[in-house]
Amino acid sequence: MITRRYVWLVTLVSIPAFLWLVPTIWMVSLSFQPNEVLARTTSSTALGLVPIPFTLQNYADLFAYGQTPLWFLNSVIVAVGMTLGVLLVSTTAGYALARLNFPLKRTILAICLIGLMVPEQAVFIPLYSMFADLGWHNSYHALIIPRMAVPIGVFLMMQFFKGIPRDIEEAARIDGIGWLQVFWHIMLPLARPAMMTLAILTFLYAWNDYLWPLVSAQKLEYFTITLGLASIQSNFAQSEGLGRVMASGVIASLPVVIMFIIFQRYVVQAMTVGGSKG
Amino acid sequence: MVQPNSTKRGSLSENQAAFLLLLPFLTVYALFLVYPFFRGIWISLHDWNLLEVAFNPAAKQFVGLSNYERVMWGRNIEWSLFSSPLAQLLGVIALLAAAWFAMRLQLSRVTAIALAIFGILLIVAPGFHPGPEGRWFSPRFWPTVGNTLLFVAWAVPGVTLSALVLAAALDRETRAMGILRTLFFISQVLSVTVVTLIWQIMFSPRQGLIANITEFFGGSPVVWLTDERFAMAAIVIATVWWSLGIAMILFLAGLQDISKDLKEAAELDSAIGVRAFWYITLPNLKRTITLVIVLQIILHFQVFGQSHLMTNGGPNDTTQVLVRYIYQTAFRDSELGRASAMAVFLFVIMGAFSILQFVIGREED
Repeated sequence: MITRRYVWLVTLVSIPAFLWLVPTIWMVSLSFQPNEVLARTTSSTALGLVPIPFTLQNYADLFAYGQTPLWFLNSVIVAVGMTLGVLLVSTTAGYALARLNFPLKRTILAICLIGLMVPEQAVFIPLYSMFADLGWHNSYHALIIPRMAVPIGVFLMMQFFKGIPRDIEEAARIDGIGWLQVFWHIMLPLARPAMMTLAILTFLYAWNDYLWPLVSAQKLEYFTITLGLASIQSNFAQSEGLGRVMASGVIASLPVVIMFIIFQRYVVQAMTVGGSKG
Repeated sequence: MVQPNSTKRGSLSENQAAFLLLLPFLTVYALFLVYPFFRGIWISLHDWNLLEVAFNPAAKQFVGLSNYERVMWGRNIEWSLFSSPLAQLLGVIALLAAAWFAMRLQLSRVTAIALAIFGILLIVAPGFHPGPEGRWFSPRFWPTVGNTLLFVAWAVPGVTLSALVLAAALDRETRAMGILRTLFFISQVLSVTVVTLIWQIMFSPRQGLIANITEFFGGSPVVWLTDERFAMAAIVIATVWWSLGIAMILFLAGLQDISKDLKEAAELDSAIGVRAFWYITLPNLKRTITLVIVLQIILHFQVFGQSHLMTNGGPNDTTQVLVRYIYQTAFRDSELGRASAMAVFLFVIMGAFSILQFVIGREED
């Protein structure tokens, strides 16, 4: 039902919604303007929100020189690796905790629950010194492994498996199918939506994480794009030109924004779970 | 329960299967979360220089709790009631509010107790100060904690209030509303370094959009990030812009739980707009609001990137926050022991809020 009040409301909220978008539009617009112009003024056309004069030079430079393509690739490797790792440990442990009976189950559950309380910021120093002893820094596994130890995915999967009716499983068990086969062939295919949510949550976290890559990756070759972007923004104007730094920002955001547009429902769900449980 | 005939075809028993399935997670959990956690406490009890220990593992020295003392305490520290009247007044207000809420049963008991504890802390803690000829051993630590709290005190209400108003306005399943929600949510998926990149330049007095707009109207631009009066405001603005989305979504989810009947009844009573918000929406969202506030406190107390990248903790330490101080103590000053003591302090505070979150979440069910 479209009433006048509704139209009025939409119009009213559209104003802050547009303002909310302005900083992002501005970044994209600056990335398409020539550096020589930006050095003079950032407000050529419509306060700089429209990219006139227009150029693709910043993006061409980005791929021709500098480390951005490499950092982007690192981010892909780390994010995909972390996502697969988290899915592996979370689905298996989540299923065992949801469905199987074994000694010390309650104790294990309680110990995992306590782990939810430990923030990354409270363990990054000992993790650093531990990985330094092992000689692991400046490697992909150093960037991937710490997140696999965070129990949130286990709880997410456990809750999902608990919600699946037992009948299917029990029928299979009576037919003499082993537990692992039941898990692999019956439960995992059913768990696809929850795995999707967990995968997106993990991918976003991996792509956007800053503190751990900052302490673990000291060599430029192992920077993620998030970390690399931090390293070039402190001296942006002098060295590379504002337009090119903004182009890096756009490239760094592209995967997560595209993911958001395609999987909007899952992303919102994943971030809500992530936000409400750590 | 069906008793599995597990020996058939040599398949695993239930215990064996559980063990196998749990093994990968428990291994990484024990090695990379439980062990580091205790190792952190262990490091905090040592005089542990990052570089010296790296070259010679025996170069650490057990010092007991002295790192905690050097971080949090000082010489001739005294306590008096009126040493920081403003904070203490706030504490009294929090305490009164807790009592008032508890009596009128407007809030759950947990929230009232939490508020009361917060109030008492606010009255007691600022009372400590160095006496004559006394000084803090680490003069930057408590101001840094204060800055972090100040950041939380601005960012949390900022996010919560704007998200609440937006959620109430957008609580309808139409296409236009969906698009508007998306617009508010999209900044949430950006990384902290993209957010700081955007806002660093937004706030720039020479190139910034805000300065351009100010100049367009004939004003003179504000030097946001290097002015002591505005630096904290600047990182709060960037943070609210960044993290409004989740809070809005959580509120929208809470609003959906309010029954349609209730909303329709309200509409029949012509309770619309502000009145409906005040009398229908707010009372029914109490628990969601508390949850969102606690979540935001946990999230924003750990602020790092905004301060590290936008202002470098400056000007004059006004935006120095706890995690950045921990990071610097460990990796610039190489004082792992002292940094770990601060990290344990951070964990204790976060842990208290996590328990609060857990209890509130439990009440919901």
